Amino acid sequence: MRIGMPHMGNLYIPFKALFQRLDIDFVIPPVNNQRTLSLGVRHSPEGMCIPFKLTLGNLIEAAELGADTLIMPAGSGICRLGYYAKTQEQILQDLGYNTQIVCLGVSQRKLFGLLGMIKRLSNNAPWSKIISAFRFGLAKLNAVDRIERAVQKVRPVEQIKGTANRIFARAIKAIERADDHNTLKKVEKDYTSELNQVTKNDSQPLIVGITGEFYVLLEPFSNLDIEKELGKLGVEVRRTTFISEWTKFSLFLNPLGMNEKDRIHKAALPYLKRDIGGDGWESVGEKVLHAKDYDGLIHLAPFTCMPEIVAQNIMPSTKEHIPVLTILCDEQLGKSGMLTRLEAFVDLLKHRRRAKVKV
Amino acid sequence: MIRVGIPRALLYYQYYPMWKTFFEGLGAEVVVSPPTTQALLASGSSRVVADTCLPAKVFCGHVLALVDKCDYIFIPAIRSVKRKIYNCSKFLGLPDMTKAVIPESPTILDIDIDINKGKRELYQAIYKLGRRFTWNPFKVRKAATAAWQAHLEYEELMINEGLTPPQAIARLSEAETPSLAPAKASIALIGHPYLLYDEHINHRLTHRLEQAQYKVLTPEMLSAEQLELAITRLTGGAYWTYEEEVVGAGGHYLEGGVEGVIGVVAFGCGPDSLMMDMVQRQAIRLGTTPFMSLTLEEHTAEAGVVTRLEAFLDMIQRRKRRQAEVCA
Repeated sequence: MRIGMPHMGNLYIPFKALFQRLDIDFVIPPVNNQRTLSLGVRHSPEGMCIPFKLTLGNLIEAAELGADTLIMPAGSGICRLGYYAKTQEQILQDLGYNTQIVCLGVSQRKLFGLLGMIKRLSNNAPWSKIISAFRFGLAKLNAVDRIERAVQKVRPVEQIKGTANRIFARAIKAIERADDHNTLKKVEKDYTSELNQVTKNDSQPLIVGITGEFYVLLEPFSNLDIEKELGKLGVEVRRTTFISEWTKFSLFLNPLGMNEKDRIHKAALPYLKRDIGGDGWESVGEKVLHAKDYDGLIHLAPFTCMPEIVAQNIMPSTKEHIPVLTILCDEQLGKSGMLTRLEAFVDLLKHRRRAKVKV
Repeated sequence: MIRVGIPRALLYYQYYPMWKTFFEGLGAEVVVSPPTTQALLASGSSRVVADTCLPAKVFCGHVLALVDKCDYIFIPAIRSVKRKIYNCSKFLGLPDMTKAVIPESPTILDIDIDINKGKRELYQAIYKLGRRFTWNPFKVRKAATAAWQAHLEYEELMINEGLTPPQAIARLSEAETPSLAPAKASIALIGHPYLLYDEHINHRLTHRLEQAQYKVLTPEMLSAEQLELAITRLTGGAYWTYEEEVVGAGGHYLEGGVEGVIGVVAFGCGPDSLMMDMVQRQAIRLGTTPFMSLTLEEHTAEAGVVTRLEAFLDMIQRRKRRQAEVCA
């Protein structure tokens, strides 16, 4: 049995750590690239969203590397995501791969479902070993996300553009290599201090929130590195969606009745009264909630994403006003087109801020 | 008298008799928007973002047509009608989305239907809806029971007599349904009722097939058990609320009984993009019944639909001739 799974941002790092510690045979498909996308697009139904196409590309590339057991998230009551695995299994079958898809229930069984799945995959390893490997994976996940937050702060104000990105790339490599908790802590500390020492200018960067659908927010390949591009334009990006946050709440705190999203849902209530699946409710809520403290909001959604279209229709009607730029991501999204729109948006925000200062 | 508007779009085709009986039982008058026209579709499209799916645009057009013609508009948010099987986001967000894009709309009556929350919640939701018309819970109860009866009769009528929803609605209001000439063969149309029976957006597909002397079979003519069995065989179990209309009916008709299957989908429809793909894969795998998928959107030209339909029917005729020759 050889395990493969699709990419989403740096999610492969904690999983790699987990699998290594449990001696599970696994492959990591190549990080998302043009070939992944082409493969995914070629074999997907035409109206599907980009997360489906890219994950399908990953699964095909994993199967090419010999993976026979593929992990895919699934569940019910959550947009099309719950149907991905079913369809992808049939597509892989029709392509002639002898693979089996293991569904990872993201909406129902939470922590115990995940641990149970790991136990099965690890050929019944003892629980103590599973828990310790799981904790190490989580530690890596948290370390990656903490560094990323620091990078988001440095990008807009660094003296030499691109410094933070280079440090980030090295940090990711180092975290991936770290093989015990102590090394990991040291790596995180070193890179955080390196980021702090980057020479910065004293500008007051514009603050732009970035919200929308989970996958396109977290997979830079699908949004054409929008955060880096905004950083180049001198904009500080604020994003509430992080995998570590999601994991913390949905695996540990939600079962205890704590929900990080309650505040966002409450804010959205006057405009959208119910959960519509996916992240549509959160998108509306974030606009309402952050209308005061952000300069603008970028709403990212895959083309044909059902919940986000509902959100996009509702957003303009909120009383709380803040400029919103919706960018739909799919294989047709071109870099220069997106850059032009970002530049125009940032210009608009600059004018708004200047006008506000004058008043 | 309080007038309640029901847009002739989306779930109208599934539930109209039920809704009508309910509101009339509560002493309200029911107003239905006129059939879809180009102007109506254009007015709906102008309100929502371009990526919204065709049926939702049509729906907004119908709501606009009801502005000033009624006191309330009934737009339920149907989350789930079977355990653990959920609906598309557009249906869930429909009341809120309509309110956002059509601020001039009459007060929207929304009701959350979610079977997973249990009977008690469902009854409370129905009672809350009825409270707008009467203080008397027994009257609400009576209207709801009558509505459920009407719904069962409606479904039975379609299954037993092989009627499409518009025909059954006409029958229930005691209008004559024209009898059809004997058919050459039968073609199954699969897809959601709001695509199959909206004569404007599908360019009179049913009518054209009947004109060409084909008997048209639709998902509503199959029993719930037949549909469920077909879904289980094909995908292991339903995921979407209205999956039986596509995967269930598609799976059932592909296995035999018809000369061809036409799948009708709307461009940008999330669930259909996956479900129709399932049916298409099954058609290829079986290789016995010809299958054509027809995508509808605002720019779909009538001539395009006609050409594809003609080619498909010609192919079916040729196939029949060849089969007859082989047998002879």
